Amino acid sequence: MIQFERFELANGLKVLVHEDHDTPMAALNVLYNVGSRDESPDRTGFAHLFEHLMFGGSANIPDFDAPLQMAGGENNAFTNTDYTNFYEVLPAQNLETAFWLESDRMLSLNFSKKSLEVQRKVVVEEFKETCLNQPYGDMWHHLSKLAYQQHPYRWPVIGLVPEHVEAATLNDVKKFFFNHYRPNNAILVVAGKVKTEEVKVLAEKWFGDIPAGPVPERKLAVEPMQTEFRELSLDSPVPLDALYLAFPCPERLSPDYYAMDLLSDVLCNGSSSRLFRRLLKEKQLFSSIDCYHSGTLDPGLFIIEGKPAEGISMEDAEAAIWAEIQDLIDNGVGEMELQKCKNRAESALIFSELSILSKAMSLAIYELLGDANMLNEEPENYAQVSAADVQRLAATLLQKNRCNRLIYKSMGPEHVGSFVGAEEDDDEEGDLFYFN
Amino acid sequence: MLNRTQPPAISQISQLSLPPVQQIQLDNGIPVYVVSMGTQEVVKLEVIFNAGRPYEQKPMISRATAALLREGTQKQTAAQIAEHLDFYGSSISSPFHMDTVNLVLATLNKHFAKVIPTLAEIIQQPIFPEHELQAFVQRSQQHLQVDLSKNDVVAYREFTALLYGNEHPYGYNSTAELYNAIQRQDLIDHAQRCFTAANAAIIISGKITPEILDLLNQHLGQGMPKGELLAANWTQAQTQPSQIRIERPNSLQSAIRIGFRTFNRHHPDYHAFSLLNTALGGYFGSRLMANIREEKGYTYNVYSALDVMRFDGFFYVGTEVGTEFEKDTLEQIYLEMEQLREDLLEEDEWEMLQNYLLGNYLGVLDGPFNVAEIVRILHSENLPMSYFSEAVNAVNETSLEQLRDLAKKYFVPEHMFQVVVG
Repeated sequence: MIQFERFELANGLKVLVHEDHDTPMAALNVLYNVGSRDESPDRTGFAHLFEHLMFGGSANIPDFDAPLQMAGGENNAFTNTDYTNFYEVLPAQNLETAFWLESDRMLSLNFSKKSLEVQRKVVVEEFKETCLNQPYGDMWHHLSKLAYQQHPYRWPVIGLVPEHVEAATLNDVKKFFFNHYRPNNAILVVAGKVKTEEVKVLAEKWFGDIPAGPVPERKLAVEPMQTEFRELSLDSPVPLDALYLAFPCPERLSPDYYAMDLLSDVLCNGSSSRLFRRLLKEKQLFSSIDCYHSGTLDPGLFIIEGKPAEGISMEDAEAAIWAEIQDLIDNGVGEMELQKCKNRAESALIFSELSILSKAMSLAIYELLGDANMLNEEPENYAQVSAADVQRLAATLLQKNRCNRLIYKSMGPEHVGSFVGAEEDDDEEGDLFYFN
Repeated sequence: MLNRTQPPAISQISQLSLPPVQQIQLDNGIPVYVVSMGTQEVVKLEVIFNAGRPYEQKPMISRATAALLREGTQKQTAAQIAEHLDFYGSSISSPFHMDTVNLVLATLNKHFAKVIPTLAEIIQQPIFPEHELQAFVQRSQQHLQVDLSKNDVVAYREFTALLYGNEHPYGYNSTAELYNAIQRQDLIDHAQRCFTAANAAIIISGKITPEILDLLNQHLGQGMPKGELLAANWTQAQTQPSQIRIERPNSLQSAIRIGFRTFNRHHPDYHAFSLLNTALGGYFGSRLMANIREEKGYTYNVYSALDVMRFDGFFYVGTEVGTEFEKDTLEQIYLEMEQLREDLLEEDEWEMLQNYLLGNYLGVLDGPFNVAEIVRILHSENLPMSYFSEAVNAVNETSLEQLRDLAKKYFVPEHMFQVVVG
């Protein structure tokens, strides 16, 4: 249970405070309601590039990082499809430094030409490091394009191509800032050894005079329901063959979200889960296997991925996954098995509430969803899911005529090391987020 | 009118000390560090054995033993163990450390009594089934193939091999052949030799109650052989500095690692050298970051690091840069070291670095698991608990002249080992 207080400034900035007097630290988190889904199709990757520019100096402060380090603090930021999140963690007695820095860059950037030039290069190198120079690093590029035809999730957060990032101009930067980086489009959370009354004073002092702006209404194309099997097979200089099956799945606020989350856990979370235990350990058909979903605010993707074990054909490996899906659709999930997944979800939630930064971030994200208190209702939401719900979700989601299949065929050992595109980290969400 | 050009006043961090850590002993003599803090009902139990690479009789055995402990005991199969831990929302992991084998049980307080017997069982009664070993070898070889296709992984492997030599416990790398050579008997022998009370220590952190400590003693305080304190098989490497370049023709980026062997945390230069490392590449405001990323835009990330083990340590600079920037990046890295040899740090820069580090230390004292991690390092490297305050004092007391003199002593281009892959 995370206690918090909420208030709103006259300019529309929402502020949440969570007091935790067990720590000497404070975290200040600012979430802007803008992500890669708000980009124009010919300037993809811009939201993330923009996040880098937020560190390039603001109206009254030439350098963001130095004063924060001087106050004993650290910071970072990340961008995903739906929002952009910035944070500082510092000794609680120096909290006001974070207010000063964050409020000045919300007031206005200094729109430095030099910063734009350098950060374009930095982001292109990031593009290479995470996507182009990694085996399977372009997985999200291919899957997004296959699974989305209308919705802006059809391009990945890092951008479709480095050229889009390179083409960004200062005018683009200014327009984006004054459209999206306004107090009425942001959520501020302060957590740690702080007093709510003091935070109220600081918030009013530093953020109170920042003018609200005309945030454009979001009109995103709705992705039509997929009704056919889609596939892409790539001959690629990767070391091993790899298989990705991606199914359109419910959005974060769907009533089916929790059943879907537990469905992915039943399939492949933990070493007793079905795909891991049966296909990787017992039948030894895969050398790695995983299942996860993108958790996005608009309808997302539910993904099963694996690399067939040595000597196992892609056909046999894939058939085994479909057989497991069929088994789940036909026979459902046992009560104990479901309880196990709920217990794991409960542990994961409690362990995620150990640091003030993760609490601050969670509060901001749930507030974006509509109400930060939903965070405290999560255990109940998972508890409510029935075995029949999970079975129903398996049957409706995991259909062949809703499937997007991506296959990497290894071109053999002599080609390895020269990747045309990009791959994926052990961290299953690594490619959904781009850090500063 | 608010003056936004004026930064708010900063107050210095005055209180920086490791919270009291209770030390007790189990019935069989295993020392236990108890870090009881926080309000959440969580427990992290870490069992540490002198069983890492310096205690191996054959390469790869330490990691293979740790990985296969969960794959079957005299009482339960791998599947039963996995099912039981997952059902109670708990996990047992074995994070890699060079010198020790560590088993970490993470659980909620309410499930501790259900899962502590499983941890005891996999330590005391592992059977290392042959088919599980074979499956592990195959999977690991596949994962290795993926890793070897990454320039940064290859660069790090080549770098450590260059520093210590391919046969040295700190220098060898996993290969398909070494995986094939692992025998079931090697794992049994390693477990029997190392997983004894004399070679063990425990750190338990979270909300720790007397009941939990009783359960701990019941399950890990009995049944483990006493054993003898093992001697490490470790001698200092005698390698000479060298530079290699591995060609990967179609790479878009080159991976760079440059550095040298240093020392462990007992060395008189350790604290000050660690500060010097931070100034060069240890935080966002560092010299390397400011120059190579924020000024030139050659890379997404550039850093320097000190990897420290029980018997030795090494320093290195690492980055991945666009291949067209490789040459100038190498020059800039050596140039930044040269500047630290020639000139004192700027006063402002030094004050920023000091404040940053003190804030950082305050952060690492935040919460039971962070404190437990400090205790782990101190225990694993045979350091007293007072070491933490020494490190904090060094931040306040080291002089700029000392740092420059250390740079002269250690940042010598002729002493550098250098690997470039791209």
